[in-house]
Amino acid sequence: MSEVAQLQLIALSIVGFGILILLFIKSTFVRVIGFVAIVLGLFSLMSLAVPQLASLPPAEEKVDIASIKTPTDIAAIGQTVFFSKGQCALCHSIGPSESARCPDLKGIGAKLSKDFLYESLTDPQAFVYQDFRHGGVPKEYPATMPAINKDPIGLSKNEILAVIAFLQQMSGEPISVSTSELEIPGKGPSAPVKAAESAAVAVAQAH
Amino acid sequence: MQQGVGTIQRALRAVGGHGGWLAGLLLIAGWLALPSIGLAAEGATTGPTEYRDIPYIGSRNLIWIVAQLHLLLAGFVLGVPIFAWLCEVVAWRGGEKRYDKLAKEFTKLLTSAYSTTALFGGILLFLLVAFYPKLMNYLTDIFFPSFLLYCLLFLLETATLYLYWYGWDTMQEGRKKTLHIFLGFLLNFFALFIMIVPNAWATFQSSPVVISDGTAIERAWAATWNPTWWPINIHRLIANVVLGGYICGAYAGIRYLSSRNTEEREHYDWMGYVGNFIGVFGLLALPFAGYWLMREIYQYNQQMGITLMGGFLSWLFIIQAMLIGVLFLGSNYYFWLGITYRIPGSESKYRKPMLWMLVSLLLCLAVWMTPHSLVASIEEAQKMGGAHHPLLGVLGVMSAKMTVSNLMILITFMSFVMYWRAGKQDTAGWATFGKAVMGSVLVLASIAVIVLGVWGYFVPAIVRINYFSTSQVLIVIFVILTITPLTALLLKSAKTTTEMVWGSMPPRAGYALVLNAVMVILLMTLMGYARSSSRVHWHVYGVMRDSSPYAYSPALGSASLIMAFCTFSFCMIVAFIFWVATMGDKAKGGHGAAKGELPHGIPAMAGGSPDERR
Repeated sequence: MSEVAQLQLIALSIVGFGILILLFIKSTFVRVIGFVAIVLGLFSLMSLAVPQLASLPPAEEKVDIASIKTPTDIAAIGQTVFFSKGQCALCHSIGPSESARCPDLKGIGAKLSKDFLYESLTDPQAFVYQDFRHGGVPKEYPATMPAINKDPIGLSKNEILAVIAFLQQMSGEPISVSTSELEIPGKGPSAPVKAAESAAVAVAQAH
Repeated sequence: MQQGVGTIQRALRAVGGHGGWLAGLLLIAGWLALPSIGLAAEGATTGPTEYRDIPYIGSRNLIWIVAQLHLLLAGFVLGVPIFAWLCEVVAWRGGEKRYDKLAKEFTKLLTSAYSTTALFGGILLFLLVAFYPKLMNYLTDIFFPSFLLYCLLFLLETATLYLYWYGWDTMQEGRKKTLHIFLGFLLNFFALFIMIVPNAWATFQSSPVVISDGTAIERAWAATWNPTWWPINIHRLIANVVLGGYICGAYAGIRYLSSRNTEEREHYDWMGYVGNFIGVFGLLALPFAGYWLMREIYQYNQQMGITLMGGFLSWLFIIQAMLIGVLFLGSNYYFWLGITYRIPGSESKYRKPMLWMLVSLLLCLAVWMTPHSLVASIEEAQKMGGAHHPLLGVLGVMSAKMTVSNLMILITFMSFVMYWRAGKQDTAGWATFGKAVMGSVLVLASIAVIVLGVWGYFVPAIVRINYFSTSQVLIVIFVILTITPLTALLLKSAKTTTEMVWGSMPPRAGYALVLNAVMVILLMTLMGYARSSSRVHWHVYGVMRDSSPYAYSPALGSASLIMAFCTFSFCMIVAFIFWVATMGDKAKGGHGAAKGELPHGIPAMAGGSPDERR
């Protein structure tokens, strides 16, 4: 018997218990308890009738360096990260969308350099442009774009580079992320991305 | 470990009877024990303990149950003084002694209810310190000053409660009564702060803000003023009034069912009416507060909003719709029963409108409960062209749900107005014009709400959320604020054609009151689960990850059984509190209402005048 079936049996027993009380007991207070039992049992049965979705902590997605041979492999991983752990598609669209809350990323890989993209992802407040009209009142809280190398998203450097590779590939640009830039677990960091290490160059007017 | 917890619980129970002072000391003792976590950690060789567990039930489930019961009791303890104070003020201003008696009857519950709440708070604190030392250490580091403030507020609240309750009989006349009313205000004032201080701790876990360097007070203040703090404060304040009202109604319902003479039936019928009225009064405003909270959550973190409304918790909102729907139906049904049985002759006049209202409510509920994505087999999904039904899928979106929830509020408000007007004949010269204005306002508002709802499908989500939904809410508030004073004015000069007959309600009215209370409690447990689960695998969202074996949120089905258990336990605790508090009355014989003070006439809270009493 499945767990849901067992729980349904428990809930049904509670309803049955309530019905028995209402049928055979005359004491008002006990009858009210029976009535409450029926209501609670029905509530549980209803809750067990809908899809049973549990929320499990996400598994750590690892970039398997050994399997990466070409920049296209990096972009393929980036695509996965873009639509899953990175949660980019939650706000950004690829192509025009009326309901998009954040800038359309179509062609972004052609517009911006790899270093600039890296900086935009890890230090989004470094440059805030005014050219994105989100159509409503300005948001009260400034963290419109989170630093995705930090929690709650917390992408690793390899994952960020993979996303950049995907953005470049999607824009029809040659992928400028090379396999040599990826960090191999257990080894020291490879060649740093310039913008990631430099301080914010300038801060444009926010909003 | 279990033995230790049992010892603590026994000790807590032993002191529980001595009231809030001892419970306050217990809290302080618990707080003083917090640094011991750090000392224990320093002495450990394998690093500080992050989690502890207990077999069978599990630490998370135990915390869940105790926290939920504490929260429900806290809602009750904070809701009842508001309810009691409102009744006392009505009696004070209107001169109806029965409201004062009702207020006293409920304030009597407070001393035992208050210590029971503090008891559960103390148990919760000890369990949190024992099971989640790392998290508690982190929160203590941030909120240390507000812990002190909380203890101080607790002492002030306890002292005020004692003065308010024990001074009731001696502060009944003249300026002393004014002082007593002021004490009641003070009681609610401190209670409000007792609620909002811990709300800051809980909301910080859901919507933490960047804590910059600074003094302890600056850090605590920064963390307190987080984006969901005030939405939760307002939402809980209103919800507590609703809980207090409906529990009063349920108590009256049970006593009504078991009453043995006409006197008791009349008294508890009237009490049930007042409880239901206050419950509905808060209920009408609650969806607005809930909408604001949800909007702030989206504003703060879209991902969290999507987890709630479109992610794994989306089905929870279908269950929530069902519970709210039953609550609206139950409240309306009670009004309709009142029209039918308390005001003889009104049934034939209002039968058709009641039927229409019932059909409209059911239709609205059906729309509200329509899921966005249906549970379908692969074949069914292929036939539909996806998980979205071609017709029903249209009703499963927010635009439709916002529209029907506003319409349900309007219908419930009109049920109340109908009850208010039943048994009266207008005599004012402008009555026809006034009724035409009210009718027009209602019809135009309903059309506007529906038009905005339909239009909402064709505009970007941000426009709908920011402008259309807000306009719908404002329209409904406008209707309530327009029709209420107009009706009151109209009825001021109206002639009473049929006197209100108390104590003539059928037994199902008592069960309707119990059902309403159970629905409110279930809703509170359900949304407690939702709020906790929206943090997913984080203790403090995005800041402190839950790395315990319980870093998952259980599915709704298994969670519902714990919610049902909490609801049942809370009902039993409240029944026990009522039983203990009224034990003395039974010994004296009867509830104490003299024949001459029986609740006849038109309820003042429904706009009636004390002069109309029989």
